[in-house]
Amino acid sequence: MPETEALLSRFGAANTQVLGISIDSVFCHANWAVSIGGISFPLLADFHPKGAVASSYGLYLEGAGITDRATVIIDAGGTVRHSSSVTPGGRRDIGELAALCEKVDKEYSGPKQAVPAPGSFPGGSTLFVKSSCGHSLKALNARANFHLEGAITLKNVSEDAAAMAELKQIGGKDQAPCLVVDGKPMYEADDIVKAMVDVVPYLK
Amino acid sequence: MIAEGTKAPGFTLKDHLGREISLDSLTGKHHVMLLFYPLDFTPT
Repeated sequence: MPETEALLSRFGAANTQVLGISIDSVFCHANWAVSIGGISFPLLADFHPKGAVASSYGLYLEGAGITDRATVIIDAGGTVRHSSSVTPGGRRDIGELAALCEKVDKEYSGPKQAVPAPGSFPGGSTLFVKSSCGHSLKALNARANFHLEGAITLKNVSEDAAAMAELKQIGGKDQAPCLVVDGKPMYEADDIVKAMVDVVPYLK
Repeated sequence: MIAEGTKAPGFTLKDHLGREISLDSLTGKHHVMLLFYPLDFTPT
């Protein structure tokens, strides 16, 4: 996945949206994605019913309860143009797949649009979080997966009294997570993640 | 495994950043590359 993340602009130039998919939950995906350096393209949870989408592509391994390591390229007309498996223990050649996507794009004569390029998040923003807080973790994970460490300063109000005082001064309460953009506080984790999605997205 | 030249089965699933992604909303505009993989927290 990190190899693919590094090549996203090349896939974008080939008008190709990349999607990862396994049987894990969205929470598992988010934490794993952070652990491998941040993944901004969608990792889909084929979680319930387990492996239903993989099954529809003939890629669910019933005996093992997991999905095969396989790649399917679909053109903008909805037709499968490439499908291949490297087996669960194998390794994909991402450069080779990028070249295949470029070939599909070149050969496709129907209507298509460029994949939107990521925008930039306003610098000087601050994310206030609390320790051992699931909502804070959600916001933190999104910050890491969108590679926003440079744009959004992190302050932990459980460990930093000055940060707590600042948080109370900004919004009049000690609620965290709180994302402050242009001096305006936003509190709900889902809203905070959406604010990042709206600005950064590779995909809308 | 699904054969080349066939129609891709549609789906709508949630992603790790709270987005709801449907294949239909992407095709028609873009090509799509699906990376199926066994499990999180295993070698990629």
